[in-house]
Amino acid sequence: MLSVHNLCKAFPGTVAADAVSFELPSGGSLGLVGESGSGKTTVARMLVGLVRPDSGTVTVDGRVRDPRERGRAARLRRAREIQMVFQDPYVSLDPRLTAAECLRAVLRLHSKDRSRVPVLLDQVGLGTREAGARPHQLSGGQRQRLAIARALAVEPSVLVLDEAVAALDVSIQAQILELLAQVRRDSGVALLFVSHDLAVIRHLCEETLVLHRGRVVESGPVAKVLAEPEHPYTRLLLGSVPRPGWDPAEVVRLRREMEASEVF
Amino acid sequence: MKPDSPVLRGEPDVGDAPSGPGQAPAPPGQAPAFPGRGRRRIAALVGAGPVGSRLASVFLAVVVLCAILAPLAAPYRPDAIDFAVSLSPATPEHLLGADQSGRDLLSRVMYGARTSLIGPLVLLAVASVVGVAIGTLAAWSRGWVDAVLSRVTDVMYAFPGLLFVVLVVAVFGNGMTTAVLALGLAYAPTIAKYTRSIAITECAKPYIDAYRVQGMGSLAICVRHLIPNLARSLVGYLVVLFGEGLMSLATLSFLGFGAQPPSSDWGLMVKEGQAAIVQGAFLPVLVPGAAIALVVVSFNVIGVRLADRLGTRRL
Repeated sequence: MLSVHNLCKAFPGTVAADAVSFELPSGGSLGLVGESGSGKTTVARMLVGLVRPDSGTVTVDGRVRDPRERGRAARLRRAREIQMVFQDPYVSLDPRLTAAECLRAVLRLHSKDRSRVPVLLDQVGLGTREAGARPHQLSGGQRQRLAIARALAVEPSVLVLDEAVAALDVSIQAQILELLAQVRRDSGVALLFVSHDLAVIRHLCEETLVLHRGRVVESGPVAKVLAEPEHPYTRLLLGSVPRPGWDPAEVVRLRREMEASEVF
Repeated sequence: MKPDSPVLRGEPDVGDAPSGPGQAPAPPGQAPAFPGRGRRRIAALVGAGPVGSRLASVFLAVVVLCAILAPLAAPYRPDAIDFAVSLSPATPEHLLGADQSGRDLLSRVMYGARTSLIGPLVLLAVASVVGVAIGTLAAWSRGWVDAVLSRVTDVMYAFPGLLFVVLVVAVFGNGMTTAVLALGLAYAPTIAKYTRSIAITECAKPYIDAYRVQGMGSLAICVRHLIPNLARSLVGYLVVLFGEGLMSLATLSFLGFGAQPPSSDWGLMVKEGQAAIVQGAFLPVLVPGAAIALVVVSFNVIGVRLADRLGTRRL
């Protein structure tokens, strides 16, 4: 299981994460919600080790992840703990490698059986035609499927998805979400879904965490948080989703009230 | 048997060139030795793009063939002296004339293509290994490593390359090898700066992050994935630098620091031909001079074309 304790990160001028703590049980699914700039991507990048936290710890299966621990074995072990799927599949795949080569590279790195390539491709719904294609010959949805397969090739305990469907068409989004739910059922990988899209979180996650200016303002089961939001920011996020009879001016007014009432 | 090539035969554009190896006499026969596939491959290489870059490619192909086939295709040995034809104008026996010692200029310029092309090639090999390594290291590490490397490169960049080479030659002695290696080091900062700028953009792309998340080491990411992804941009840049390198090496030979007699290096030929101008014979300078100019222009045209194909025009 993944346990995050008191994660803090400040960039010049902003606090991206302020004592963020949460837990994600094995095979569970957690949605990290927040608007742009709320620090959710920074939290995701700290989990996988792309950003070094100012303080705080990330623990997977009882072992603290220490990015200072160097060496091949430590790197590979960290990779097997947490994998990540990036937001934009147009730039998160190496343009030179075909889908099969991309997966083969990961499998070779982790000394895994390279004959698993077709199995992995099949797992994410890619066929032999796509296996020989380079990223620019694939559609956005296919690329994101490949990115998911690449992350799964390592057989991680936790899969972090950073806005993994935000760059895709709505119809493709549904397919990818369905794929992720299926992957979780089949492989038992825990999902940490970072998104600004509440509908996506509602569909995919059991637990949710609302992040505002780097702080966790609300957390709990998705159904409860979305049905009875306690924090004004959560209410604001929910109110920002367009629906019949929706009034954008009302959202703007609510935001102004909330910002006025906050003590910063 | 003198092999012929489809490019060499019937390429009037090249024959129009005022002088230089383009006027190599097309020896008869053996076209079947080049099957259609090879012809198509050459056509694919040459065919695409505007007339200028096509002409340049064809011309360079001819020059390279001349260099390779010089012993077979050249009418005379490059050092065959015949004082009877000293400073001969263009005649059927000596198509591009002869120099003071009566050495056939066509033969010399064909043989000279060897040193004049291999020199810049080795130069660029040295410069790109050093330059790409420094540029990639700076872009990958950022922070103080980048700061130190960038300042060092800036200083080297600001130091006149030719002066640097002259200093090196003064210490290690004349000769093509010294000149090539020294120029290689002098060109390294240029390549390092360019590599750093494109590598920084490339490093910011999430696929590099993805490799790190997969647990791949920095060296493996840079060597196996980052540099290969920079290769396309680098090649276009190197093609242009090739022309520049050729010119610099010719300059060094002209100054007496590079190739030494009796080499038929083009720069050295220009130097040796100078005296002939006073005697009213221009061919000993004109022939190698035109060869240098045409080859450099061709490399520039192709380099710009390659850069265009990448969607960005550099230089």
